[in-house]
Amino acid sequence: MADKVKLFVNGQEVEVESGKNLIDAIGAVGIEIPHLCYHPALGADGNCRMCLVGIEDGRPPLVPACKTRAAEGMKVQLDTDKIKKIQRDIMELELINHPIDCPICDQAGECKLQDYYMKYDGQKSRMTVKPVLKAKKMDFGCGVVHDQERCVLCARCVRFTRLITKTGELGIVNRTDYARVNIFPGRPLANRYALNVVDLCPVGAMTSADFRFKQRSWFLTKSKGICRGCSKGCNIFIDHNREKYKDDVIYRFRPRLNEKVNGYFMCDAGRMTYKQENDNRLTVALLDGKETGLNEAVEALRRAVSQAKKIVCVISPNNSLEQMFAIQKFAANCNAAVSGYSDGYVIAGDGDDFLIQDDKSANRASFALLGIDASKAGFDAAVNGADLLICFQNDLSLSLTADALNALAGNCKLAYLGSNMDACAEKAAIALPVASATEDAGTLVNVDSILQQYAVAVVKNTPAFDMIHVVSQLGGEIKNCFEARAGLTAAVAALKGIDLEQVPGEGLALTVSEVPNVAA
Amino acid sequence: MSGKIKIMERKGKDLYERLYLIEVFKGMAVTFGHFLSNLLDNSKLYVRHYPEVKPEITARWRGRHRLTKYEDGTMKCVACFMCQTNCPAKCIMIEAGERVDGRTEKMPVRFDIDLLECIYCGYCVEACPMDAIRMDTGIFSVTGDERKSFVLKITDLLETPGAFTEEEYKKGGA
Repeated sequence: MADKVKLFVNGQEVEVESGKNLIDAIGAVGIEIPHLCYHPALGADGNCRMCLVGIEDGRPPLVPACKTRAAEGMKVQLDTDKIKKIQRDIMELELINHPIDCPICDQAGECKLQDYYMKYDGQKSRMTVKPVLKAKKMDFGCGVVHDQERCVLCARCVRFTRLITKTGELGIVNRTDYARVNIFPGRPLANRYALNVVDLCPVGAMTSADFRFKQRSWFLTKSKGICRGCSKGCNIFIDHNREKYKDDVIYRFRPRLNEKVNGYFMCDAGRMTYKQENDNRLTVALLDGKETGLNEAVEALRRAVSQAKKIVCVISPNNSLEQMFAIQKFAANCNAAVSGYSDGYVIAGDGDDFLIQDDKSANRASFALLGIDASKAGFDAAVNGADLLICFQNDLSLSLTADALNALAGNCKLAYLGSNMDACAEKAAIALPVASATEDAGTLVNVDSILQQYAVAVVKNTPAFDMIHVVSQLGGEIKNCFEARAGLTAAVAALKGIDLEQVPGEGLALTVSEVPNVAA
Repeated sequence: MSGKIKIMERKGKDLYERLYLIEVFKGMAVTFGHFLSNLLDNSKLYVRHYPEVKPEITARWRGRHRLTKYEDGTMKCVACFMCQTNCPAKCIMIEAGERVDGRTEKMPVRFDIDLLECIYCGYCVEACPMDAIRMDTGIFSVTGDERKSFVLKITDLLETPGAFTEEEYKKGGA
């Protein structure tokens, strides 16, 4: 626990963390200091002057809150007429050349200029001269669309490319009225975190081409989730909306702050994984490629399981801990071999030292916890002579060549339980639809052995059953997530003493000694 | 059950009225008198000959909606969704897309108003920042023989002209 200092805000005594600047320290107790250029991940820049606060008896009496550390006995003034006039004047300056095209701006509804205008300004424009016209709808690359007219030159995006990605594609060119955020000629944004500037931008100057005009931000339900793009398990907001007469659709993923995992950011590839949740879904059960009722398909698979001599269950590294446990139990009941073979999910050398990992699956670390063998040799030994192969969300077409998969599907009956119509589902004799990651709840262990949980975010008009339910219908003994969690804490040594029903929001670090041999 | 019983005294006790027929003929005389006089001259009638004669509608009347256009024929709507957000009946369904007519950046590619759900409150008109949606078509009666015909498409909304001049509309308090 950090040291606490006592200071006064508007004459009211508050206890805040020491060592932080005034915006963060006072913001943590619920008192907002307006700011545009300051961002906790990018540090204080002090260029917007919006966070100027008065310090009673201070030298100087007026300081930018982003560059001033909270100190014992400080008397911070936020509501004096002088401070209010400064905030109003700064807003007036910011809005001199602002196009006020909120009706067509994607940022509307989550825009700092809108919020601060309503809260701190609220006056009519006194400008009589024509506003300076600047370039609009500039393609900055990586799906970032820039609008110079809306820009307040806070330089958050510029600092992001310099400090975080260290690529420095963006800069502020020229001065005063001519100052513009721009790229170097012919050198657009080219880094794998570029879309973070869209979130960083406090106004609508940086917007996403992918999300452009899709939805207004106030229609979106912002549910918490965890990204499945790689084994980092970045915390995200799942922004989804059910339009009238339509289904619940995800429109974007946005990073959610978790200091332990991803900080404030996420990668562009992870951001785009929302499309997998919407497109190419397996919605009906397939029997030899023909649509059938779910019950008939489940019955067909049950029969196949009871008739098979050697069964192999292939677990996906994207399955949640609970799902893996339920499948393991099911496999034990019907004497099936379990494999987690999924080499195709790993793209060697693709990761970096920031967020992106080589392993493009979310929960491989749980293989070690549950003792699931993911080796090629183990898989080959298991499928040798097998007559039923059940893939649980594991798209074997990633790991095996097309010929090898065809040979496999020829040698034994291939069944598939998954949420997407991937190559493996197309080959399968029996394909059962299950709820996708955002439609289900579960637990993931990321590459750094941090255990995180996610809840059901999206509820479709005709919801698919979750994996554990379908497995229980096939004959698995675990009926639901709760039973799986109870079983997990009892059976897995590393999870002893952890209440899986009450995992803190920022995740739970499993100590290194408890999870040896975590896959890369 | 001991309610107070009140026996109503019957009116028209004299023989004249109790005969009924005389009173009936007196009543019919009044009826046929009106019938004949109206048959010969119906100009003094106190009713509007509705389907033939339409009522006069003021500029403030909230009739069927329309989408307005600039002088050059491009639509004013920029698909900001303010009307859809403000609509208490949730009868407006918009889909936005990239603008293709050279004005700004955004325009609706779909703009449906379900008139069966619309309550004609005029909140969409009030919410519009572009004066793009108005209810000044003067159309007060919408008929159709299937539900689908009550869902107005963007083309229907753009084609319908306003029933009033700009001055009349502005005077109406818009």
